[in-house]
Formats: sequence, C-alpha cells, structure tokens
Amino acid sequence: MLKIENLSATVGEGEGVKTILHGLTLSVPTGEVHAIMGPNGAGKSTLSYVLTGREGYTVTGGTATLNGLDLLSLDPEARAAKGIFLSFQYPVEIPGVPVMTFVRTAMNAQRKARGEAEISAPDFIRKSREIAKVLSLDPEMLKRPVNVGFSGGEKKRLEIYQMMMLEPRFMVLDETDSGLDIDALRTVAEGVNALRAPDRGMLVITHYQRLLDYIKPDKVHVLAKGRIIKTGGPELAHRLEAEGYDGVLAEAV
Amino acid sequence: MSTALRDILRNPTVAELELVARYAGLKVDARRERLFEAFALTGLPGRRDENWRWSDFKSAVTALDAPKTPPAHDPLARGGVATLRFSPSGFAAPSALPAGVRLVTREDVQAMGGAEDVPLGALAAALSGTVQVEVSAEAPVHLHMVFQGPGAIHAARIAFLLRPGTELHVSESHLGGAAFSAALIEFTLQAGARLNRTIYQRGGAGEVQAITALIEQDAGAESVQTVLAFGAKVSRIETRLVHRETGSKATLNAAYLAGKGFHADITTHVRHGAPACTTRQQTKGAVLDGGRGVFRGKFLVPRTSGQQTDASMQHNALLLEEGAEVFAKPELEILADDVQCAHGNTSGALDGTQLFYLRQRGIPLVQARAMLTEAHIAQALEGAGEHEDALRTEASRWLAP
Repeated sequence: MLKIENLSATVGEGEGVKTILHGLTLSVPTGEVHAIMGPNGAGKSTLSYVLTGREGYTVTGGTATLNGLDLLSLDPEARAAKGIFLSFQYPVEIPGVPVMTFVRTAMNAQRKARGEAEISAPDFIRKSREIAKVLSLDPEMLKRPVNVGFSGGEKKRLEIYQMMMLEPRFMVLDETDSGLDIDALRTVAEGVNALRAPDRGMLVITHYQRLLDYIKPDKVHVLAKGRIIKTGGPELAHRLEAEGYDGVLAEAV
Repeated sequence: MSTALRDILRNPTVAELELVARYAGLKVDARRERLFEAFALTGLPGRRDENWRWSDFKSAVTALDAPKTPPAHDPLARGGVATLRFSPSGFAAPSALPAGVRLVTREDVQAMGGAEDVPLGALAAALSGTVQVEVSAEAPVHLHMVFQGPGAIHAARIAFLLRPGTELHVSESHLGGAAFSAALIEFTLQAGARLNRTIYQRGGAGEVQAITALIEQDAGAESVQTVLAFGAKVSRIETRLVHRETGSKATLNAAYLAGKGFHADITTHVRHGAPACTTRQQTKGAVLDGGRGVFRGKFLVPRTSGQQTDASMQHNALLLEEGAEVFAKPELEILADDVQCAHGNTSGALDGTQLFYLRQRGIPLVQARAMLTEAHIAQALEGAGEHEDALRTEASRWLAP
C-alpha cells in the first residue's frame, strides 16, 4: 500500500520558493489502480517527483510510505530498488547509452540493492524480446541510445518497456497519454494492464479521462491546489470530462 | 656560449640546469646546438608564455629525481604487433619488422622545422638521437610504441615517413616512469597515405610529460588521431598538423579524464596550407575536484592557400565535482573567404534531469555519473578502431573504480 499523509512540499529556493503540495493525503491499497486528475498546476507532477526523490523539491511536512517503508528518507535509487517506478511525462534522452545497456544496468543495480543475483545475459535478452513483442517495439530500437531520436509515442512505449522489464511494486504514470495517438495509447494501455497484479499498485496521473477508458481505475482522485479535494469511482472521471474542473472544484470548496 | 643559452642560465631553475648539463654531456653537433637553443629561447615554458599559461612546466618540473611510481599497465599492447620500446636507458625494436617497414636508428641529430614553436619538442630532439621509420608496404602496417621506464629525464624522438598510398596504424602508450619526459613524434604522409594514430597517456602524480607530434600531409593524405589522456602532475599532448597539399583530411579526437592532482593538456594547431582540406576535431573532457583539464585548439586558414577549407572544432568538458578546473581556448584564424569553419566550446556539470532519470531506474549516483560521463567521451574514442574497446575499458575503470 502506498500511503501519503498530510504531505507538503515546496519547490525552488530563497525568494523563489513556492509551496506546491499542501497537506496531501492519499492511500492506494496494494493491487489497486488509482487515478489522479486535476487542472494544470495542481501539483500532479510535483507529487510524482516528491515520491521518487527528485532534487529541487523539499518536503516540509507529512509522510509517504510504501508497504510501511518510509520513502522520503531514501535516495532515488534506493526507492527504485524498493519497487517504486515513475513513468516520466517527458522521458529523458541519454545520448551514448543504448537502451539494453541502460535497462540491464538498472535491473542488476536494483537486484544488487535487494541482495538478489544478477540476471544472466540470455535470460535478459529473452525477457526483453518477449516484452518488445508485446509492445510492438522494433528490437533495433533497443540497441539505440535511450530516447534519442525517438518519436513521442516511441518514448512512452519505451517507458512501459522499462516498467515491464523492471517489474516494480508500485508504478506512478505521469501523463502517459500525452503525445500519444489512439493506436499507441491502446498499446501502452495493454502493457500497463498486463502489469496489474494483486501484489502491485498503480497511480495514474492524467489530465484527460480518455486514458481511463483503457486503464480502468478502482478510484479517481481530484487534485487541486496541492491536495486531494474529491475522491470517487470511475464515474467521477466522466463527470470531470463532461463538466470540466470548474464545477467539481466549486462544489468542493 | 650562445645568447639564448646565456639567457636561460641567467636565472635558471634547478631542472633547467640539469637539462643544460645533460645537453653539455652529449656529443657536439651543430643541429643539436640549434635545437637546444630553440628550447633555450623559452626554457621550460610556464605561466609567462601565452601558449603555456595554463600548463606551467617551469614550476612543475622540479628536481629531476627518478620517481618511484609503479609502472602503469599498457592497455594497447597486443600480441603479434611489432613493438618499439623507448625508455630513459635506450631504444629497442624487434629484429623482425613487418614487410615494407625500414627502421634506422641514428645517433646524430636530424633537423626539425618550426622548432621554436615547440620548445619541448625541440628539447626532446636535442637530447636524443632519432629513430627513422619508412613505410612503403602495400598492406596496412601495424606498430605499437611504448614510452616507459624509470629515470630522471626521458627524451625520445621518432620520425615516420609514409610513402604514397601506404597505411600505418600506430598505437602509443605513454606510461611515464621518469620525472620528466619529452617525446617528439613526426609523421610525413605522402600523397594518399593514411595514418591511424591512437595515444594512451597515463603519467604518475609526480611526473611531467610532454608529447609533441608534428604531422605533415600531402595531397589526399588522411589521418585519424585518437587520444585518451589521464594526465600527470602536468602533461601536454600537442599536435601540430599541416595540410600542405590539396584534399588532405585530418581527424583529431581526444578525451581527457583528470582526477585529483592530475593535469591533462590537449593542444592542437592545424594549418590549412592548401585548398580543399578537411579537419574534424572533437575533444571531450571530464574533471574531478582537484583535477585540471586544458584544451587549446587553433585552426589557421591563410588567405590564398586556405580556400575551400572545411573545418570544425568541438570541445566539451564536464566538471564532475566542485573544485574541478577546465581552461579552454579554441581559436580560429581564418583569412580566406570561401571556407566552412565551425567551432563549439562548452563546459558544465552533468545534466541533473539525466542523472535523476538513471537514479529513478535504480542506478546508484556514482554509477549513473560514470555512465553519463563515459557516454560523453565515447564519441571522441570512436576513431580508435581496434583500440576503441581498450580505451573505453580504461575510461570506465577510472570513472567507476
């Protein structure tokens, strides 16, 4: 279970410091998929970065735990080894590092941190081939540098590829639908759905309801001004789509 | 005694006195005298000399005692390749050389053009004999050179002549061992000749190294040079290249990695002395706290001879830690009007977004830094061909010990 309680966080330094999260509380039980929706600037991406430990964000109050383990005191790599995975809204280009090298290094680093044996090269390649097939990824692409020269859709599919390879305990998907056409969206959603499991949780951050037609959430939360202002079932996403954020926000205040 | 010699002796450093004594002990030779004077005009170059302001040999070369550095291993060594060995105690070559290679060892000193421009090259020439290698083989020739061994001063000179249409692959390991070493390596590429030169430099923290190369290229000749330098107390790898006939091409790539207490200087000077010649230059560096990287590159494109020059120069340095230092001076002197010349020069820290991406996937900070740094320098090592993997291995060992 991912448990966030009364979490507050700021970004920036000195005069430019800005509070983005204002006492956010949220729980995602293991095995469930929750969606977070909200207008621009609500703090959606900040939440994903604070959970994964990106520099530049300061937690000023509250807690975040994954299966009882305090996430906020750990380095980003330690959080990853404990099973938290962020699918980036804007996947990062890493010139000079081939995808396969990158993912294998990451996988073995996580295994080492958990005290597990490294994956053998043949096992890794077999697994990579299977997953690439599911995601309709060209195997040649996996020999190229990470995200360099990839289209928006390819980058998002590569995020899902990494997720399926690394098999995290908890996934945060930050606007995975942005920049995807309908076919790519379907492929990506299939990959994500394949990872739904009783021992795995998921937080899907999105702007639009569309993605939730493909990845059906157990619960939908509305994030505005740095806190969860409303929680409901999948029907809440449809209401937001029909009425816009203004209606729901007005009601909540 | 000449004026220059008297000048240097007016206020000499201890090391300069020892160099003069070493010179005085050698056989009298008019060419030796001229070369030593070319050195004496500057003495050991240092901060006051514009071309040396960031690489201060004068203060770095202190007493010339043999350092007690364990010999570095040679990643470029490979079986089956004829190896020429230079050490303070002498020169050794295998008796069997590849077909079409003629090697002559000469006790006397050979003349050298532009000696005043390269004081430490002139010094190397004045204090050593000359090994001459003529390549006239039809098939590509592979040679390896090792510069290493204990001693106070190590001076060495070797000159290659590549006959038209020949191809030489030469690897050089400059592994130190002497308090001060100066090597001069000359290449003359006749029409259509091809040279692939790979240099691995790794000196001790108490050693000072100067590696000077003079390259002259005739019509349609082509050279590819790849350097991996780890520096020394102070080290400089200087390459002066002249395109002297049409259609000559040169690639000058280098990567330097300077740790605490190490100083790596990459200096180049390319003269486009004939029309329609091409130069591609890429230097990538990474420096830790207490390390220092220096890049100086100059393209000289004269008004008439330099037309249709196509040249580009890139230097990109990573300052991996607070306290790392990089000094760079890219210089384009273009007097011709029908040319394509470009240059770029950057220095900065690793990209925080990239670092976070790697760490979010579980790669620890130190390893993530190493991966990104290795990727940063990788492009500069691509031209090393058969030696690329060995160079990359050395680089990654340094980055993530």
